[in-house]
Amino acid sequence: MMAATTPATQRAAPSTVPSTIPSSVQTTTPSAPGRQESGNAVSLRGLAKRFGETSVFADIDADIEHGEFITLLGPSGCGKSTLLRAIAGLTSLDAGSIHIGGDDITRLPPQRRGVGMVFQHYALFPNLKVADNVAFGLRMQKVPGDERARRVDEVLRLVEMQDQAHKFPHQLSGGQCQRVALARSLVVEPKVLLMDEPLSALDARIRRHLRDQIREIQKTLGLTTLFVTHDQEEAMLMSDRVFLMHQGRILQKDTAEVLYTRPRDENAAGFMGHYCLLDAVEAAPLLGFRSQAGRVALRPEALYLSVQGRPLGGERPARVGPGVSGRVRRHRLLGNIVRYDIDCDGTSLAVDTLNRSARSLLPAGCEVTIHVDLDEVQELDA
Amino acid sequence: MAHAETLPAHKSPTAAPLSATFNPYAWIVGSVFAVLALPLVATLGYALATRWGATLVPDGLTLAWFVELWTTPRFVAAFARSLAVAVGALALSLVLVMPVALLAHTRYPWLDRWMNTLILMPFAVPPVVSSVGLLKLYAGGPLPLVGTPWILIPTYFTIVLPFMYRAIANSLRAVDVQSLMDAAQLLGAGPLKAFFLVILPNLRGGVQIAIFLSFSFLVGEFVFANMLVGTRFETLQVYLNNMRGASGHFTSALVITLFAFTLILTWLGNRQAEHTITEATR
Repeated sequence: MMAATTPATQRAAPSTVPSTIPSSVQTTTPSAPGRQESGNAVSLRGLAKRFGETSVFADIDADIEHGEFITLLGPSGCGKSTLLRAIAGLTSLDAGSIHIGGDDITRLPPQRRGVGMVFQHYALFPNLKVADNVAFGLRMQKVPGDERARRVDEVLRLVEMQDQAHKFPHQLSGGQCQRVALARSLVVEPKVLLMDEPLSALDARIRRHLRDQIREIQKTLGLTTLFVTHDQEEAMLMSDRVFLMHQGRILQKDTAEVLYTRPRDENAAGFMGHYCLLDAVEAAPLLGFRSQAGRVALRPEALYLSVQGRPLGGERPARVGPGVSGRVRRHRLLGNIVRYDIDCDGTSLAVDTLNRSARSLLPAGCEVTIHVDLDEVQELDA
Repeated sequence: MAHAETLPAHKSPTAAPLSATFNPYAWIVGSVFAVLALPLVATLGYALATRWGATLVPDGLTLAWFVELWTTPRFVAAFARSLAVAVGALALSLVLVMPVALLAHTRYPWLDRWMNTLILMPFAVPPVVSSVGLLKLYAGGPLPLVGTPWILIPTYFTIVLPFMYRAIANSLRAVDVQSLMDAAQLLGAGPLKAFFLVILPNLRGGVQIAIFLSFSFLVGEFVFANMLVGTRFETLQVYLNNMRGASGHFTSALVITLFAFTLILTWLGNRQAEHTITEATR
């Protein structure tokens, strides 16, 4: 359904379609028109990369639909940036194939792949003004001057930078630089936009603002986007789907909700949220039964506290495990959430409660009873 | 003195009247400047004097010495030779050093360490010694250049190598070459086009400074020019040496001309440096 809306929204000004789109598409992919309407925007098959003896990533298989916003999420060193660079053609592959819009681009140089890329440190050309930075790709495509100026102006408006067109990159703030870099990638109408931790170098407030802006623009243009980050919150807020990477493999490809509530294995659970990982023996008293799986993962917000038989916080779910008594070791204030570290017979559990009032904070040493929401317990193969 | 009044917080009340009349910094800077400028001022005076004998100030002022200098064909020819050799050496160094610096920066970091040692050679080995080596090197083999003026170009290349390499390497360090190349290529430029459109313009400032400084250095070079070619190819400094028996007023005019030329080049180089920093134009 995204694919059907893509061409109309992406090329907002109809007059540009006949003169510019064919030239850019034909040079990058000699495919029949309309071909990109069907199939996946991007398919990766068996990608592998090694640096000497160490494998950077291996067995990467993935399909991305048209207009989808995919996040590659993983800790640093998991190979996600290298994977992105391989898709861009900036790093060679040892095995596998990449298709974009149905065409095999595995052997094409970066300038002929039809992908745009936004870098963590902007990579704006310091010798060129904002407008010339943005116009660079159009110049390479030999787009005539007046049309070039119009498209540059259009895309600068889109990222709200039209007033800064005559400044040099060093006169801009980090957030502004990244918006120019985004405009520079968008103006050539790439088939896929790759973003390599584009928000990591920015401060928190700008990051939140630009995050929402990127997502909004991506939706408006229906642009297939692959976004790399190590920030779980960013991934969950922006993505249609998240590809969770760990040690050079994609562990799980799911929507944020599924990834968060149903991590597939221990590594996924370890990276998402703040799961407590217990083995079957430790978890048995909480669950009321001995789990057949090797490991049990519990989220802090799926545990409920009672003090002297009086339940703390909101309503209890339908199926809860038998209560287990414990002692508050300490609490951490996360703003709207209070996270208690609770010692249960030598097992440490984290429990989240809403921070409703400072008076209801439980002091260290306080005796509590813990119930677990049985529907939210994840049984994982060890 | 206005400066002293704007900084009352740094002075104790008792010291204030003293500092109003005596600024030690100005005196230090002033005297250093005077020591450096005095010989030059004297030379300038001598070049402009009709006669300057037993008196404290010259008898009269004249531009005759400069006119004579610039109407001497031998001087003009020597000047032209110096310029030609300097331009040739700089062109050679640009063509050779630029790719080396780029490779050392992007692909082979070990090369940078070697280059940093190598560029100390012109300073470590005195010209009198290395000219003997150069004579031996170019006496035979594939490039028998001894006795021809061409020997000065590869020789001068070794002199400017440190300036050129450091300037280009520093400019490269200030630019994220890899990212800029990546970005340009993803926007449709081939590697060569990307280099000329995106990397080279960002090195221009640093390279220009190096060129101006090397140029003024080469125009003033004497030892190699004299030992390797000598009177067969009279450069500016060799000419000056040969003219040491002539009128002192004449040689003073020559020195002042040379100094003014170097000054202009250095000034151009510095102006380029400021230009690059402010990025006033592209």
